[in-house]
Amino acid sequence: MAAFLVRRLLQMFLVTIVAAICSYTLLYISPGGPIDQLLGERQNGGVNRINQDDILRVKQRFELDIYAPVRFSRWLIGWPTGPILGSIGADWTVGCAIPGQVRLRYPDGRTEIVEEGCDQPVTLADLEGRKSSRGVFFLDFGVSQVILRDRPVIDLIGTRLPYTLYLMGGSTLLALVIAVPIGVYSAVKQYSRFDYTMTTIAFVGSSLPSFVFGIFAILIFSVLAKQAGLPYLPSGDAVGIRDYAIPLLGTIEAGSFFDRFLRFLMPCGVLTFISIAGWSRFVRGSMLEVLSQDYVRTARAKGVKESAVVLKHALRNSLIPFITLLAGVLATLFGGALITETVFNWPGLGRLYIDALGRSDYNVANALLLINVVLLLIGILITDILYTIVDPRIRLG
Amino acid sequence: MATTTAVPVDEPKTTEPESQLSIVLRRFRKHRLAMFSLGLLLSMLLLSALAPVIAPYPRDEPNLKARFLTPLSTDVNGGLHILGTDHLGRDSATRLLFASRVSLGTAVFATLISSTIGIVLGLLAGFFGGWVDTIISRALEIVATFPTLSLLLIVVSIFVGNEKNIPFPAIVTKTISFLFAVSEREAKLVLMVNLILALFGWTGTCRLMRGMVLSVRENVYIDSARALGASNLRLLARHIFPNSLPPMIVDFTLGVNGTLVAESALSFLGFGITDPTPTWGNMLGYAQSYMFQYPWMPLIPSLPILLASVAINYIGDGLRDALDPRQKI
Repeated sequence: MAAFLVRRLLQMFLVTIVAAICSYTLLYISPGGPIDQLLGERQNGGVNRINQDDILRVKQRFELDIYAPVRFSRWLIGWPTGPILGSIGADWTVGCAIPGQVRLRYPDGRTEIVEEGCDQPVTLADLEGRKSSRGVFFLDFGVSQVILRDRPVIDLIGTRLPYTLYLMGGSTLLALVIAVPIGVYSAVKQYSRFDYTMTTIAFVGSSLPSFVFGIFAILIFSVLAKQAGLPYLPSGDAVGIRDYAIPLLGTIEAGSFFDRFLRFLMPCGVLTFISIAGWSRFVRGSMLEVLSQDYVRTARAKGVKESAVVLKHALRNSLIPFITLLAGVLATLFGGALITETVFNWPGLGRLYIDALGRSDYNVANALLLINVVLLLIGILITDILYTIVDPRIRLG
Repeated sequence: MATTTAVPVDEPKTTEPESQLSIVLRRFRKHRLAMFSLGLLLSMLLLSALAPVIAPYPRDEPNLKARFLTPLSTDVNGGLHILGTDHLGRDSATRLLFASRVSLGTAVFATLISSTIGIVLGLLAGFFGGWVDTIISRALEIVATFPTLSLLLIVVSIFVGNEKNIPFPAIVTKTISFLFAVSEREAKLVLMVNLILALFGWTGTCRLMRGMVLSVRENVYIDSARALGASNLRLLARHIFPNSLPPMIVDFTLGVNGTLVAESALSFLGFGITDPTPTWGNMLGYAQSYMFQYPWMPLIPSLPILLASVAINYIGDGLRDALDPRQKI
C-alpha cells in the first residue's frame, strides 16, 4: 500500500508538471495576446495612438519581454527574481525589451523592416524589484490580467468558489438521493411499466445536451410562465439587482434568501436531472448484474425477506462500481459545470473559465485548468483507495 | 442396439447460409424505434445535402426591414418565411438548412477521422504489445486525466481565429467548402474545428479497440492462421480487424452524437464555428439573447439538435442489439 501510494503520488506529480507546461505553452502561443488586443483597442479608438512606451509597459506587465523558459520558471516556482544568490549572473540576458530592427533592401528597390537581434536586452538584474508571484507551485497563481486587473487570481477564485460549491454540491446530493432509489426500483421491477418509463426518460435525458435542456427550462419556467401570468423563475444570475414581483408570491426583495433560492432552482434542477439520467442507468445496470448472482439466489432460497435481499445483499455490492463516478464528482464540484453556468449566467468557476478564455486572462484560465487537473488526479487516487476498502478482493500493488 | 440407416435428407440445400450482414440487418429492422430514428436521421441528412438547392433565400442576406419575423409570416416584399427571420432579418429556414449541413457534416467527418485514428492505434497497441502498447497506453492515460471540455475550449480559443495563417492545400479547402456548403474562406475555420474535435475524440475508440484486439488475438483461429503462415498484415487485415469491428460500429454511432453535441456546445459558447457560417449551436447562442421577446427563436435550432441527438443514440442502441449475437430479439 505504501509503495503504491508513493508511486502514484510521484506519477501524479509528473502528470501535473506536464499539464502545467502544456497549458502554459498553449496559452502563450495564442495569437490573440495582450499586445494584439491593446493595439486593436487603441487603433479602433483612434484617440491616442499607442507608442513604444505603452508597448514596453504592457510587455513588462505580462512579462512578455522575458524569454519563455525563464518566464515559465518564474510562473511555476517564482524564481529567478533577480541575480542568483545576490550577485551571480547579474548581467545574464534573460529577455529582450525592444527587438532590433533591420532594414532589408531588395534589389528591386523595395525595403522591408524585419526584427532581428535585440536592441535593449533584459538582464537578471533588471528583474529585481519587479512584481512577481511566489509561483504556482506554492499556490500563488499571480494576478488577474484582464477580468479584475491586478487582483490576485486566488481572490477571484475565492469569490466564485462558493457559488460553484453550493450549486454543484446541492445538485450532486439531490441527484444521489433520487437516482439510487430509481435505479434500484427499476432493476427490481425489470421490464415493468415504471422501468420502461424511467429507462426512456434516462435515455433521452443522457443524450440531451445540457445547454439545450437549460434553454428549454428558461423558456418554460421563465419566459412562457411569465407571459402566461403564472409564478415564474428568474432566468439568470445568482443574486438579483433590483426587487421584482412574481404573481402569487408577491414582491421579492433583491438579495434576500428567497431571491437567491428562486435563482438557484433552475440551474440546480437542470444539473440534477442530467446526473439522475446518467446515474440511475448506472445503478440499474450494476444492480441487475448483482441480482443475478448466485449468493442472491442462495439468500432467497434460505428464505431471507425480499427487502433484506435487495437492500442488504444486493444494493451494497451494486454500489461498488458507483465509486468510480466519485473521481469525476470531485473535479466537477470544484470546476463547476461550464455550460450550465454559462446558460444561467451563474457566477461560478465554470463561467469564470469561459470568461477568462474569451478575454485572454491567461493567469486565471491557467490556474483553473491546473486546479481541475490536480483535483481529477486526487479523485482517481481516492477512488482506487476506496475500492480496496469496500471490496477486500481488490489489492493495490 | 438400434441400427442406423442412412435417411435421405428431405430438404435439398437450395438456400445459401444467411450472411452475417443480412442477419444484422434483419435484427436491426426489428428495433422499431431505431428504424424510425434511422429514417428521421436520413431525411435530415437528405435535407442538409439538398440545402443549396432547396433553400428559399440567400444564406447571408440581411434584411433590416424584416427582423424577428414570426414563423409563417411574410415580409414587406411578400416573401414567405416558413421559420421566420433572425436578428438580422436573415431567413431562418435557409440558415437552418445550411447549419444542418455544417453541424451534421462536422459530426460525421470529425468522428470518421477520430475513429480511424483510434482504430489504427488500438490495433497496433493490442496486436504488437511491448513498447508500442506502452507508448500508446501511457498517452491514453495522460489524455484521460485532462478535463476534456476545458482543454477543448482552450485549444479552440487559441487556434480558431488563427486559421487564416495556416496554409491548408487548396484542394483540401475546396473539398471542405464543397462538403459543408460554405465559402472557401469559411472552410478553413470549419476544417480547423473538425480537426481539433477529431484530435480529442480518438481516445475512447482506441481503448475499446485495444481491448477487443487483446481478446480476439487469443482465439484459436488466429493461431491456426499464423500456423498456416499468414503474415502479420494478413492477420490484422483479414482476421483481427473484421472480428473486432462490431463494437466499433456502435462506438462510431455514439461518437457521432458526442461530436455533434461537442461542436454545438463550442459554437453555442461562441468558441467554435462563428457567424456568418451557421451551425445549430451558434444559431441557438444568438437566439438565447432574444428569447425573452421572441420565445420561438431558440426552438428552431434546438429541436434539430434534440432530434438528431436522440435519433443517433437510438440507432446506436439498435445496432448494439443487432450486432450482439448473444442477444435474442
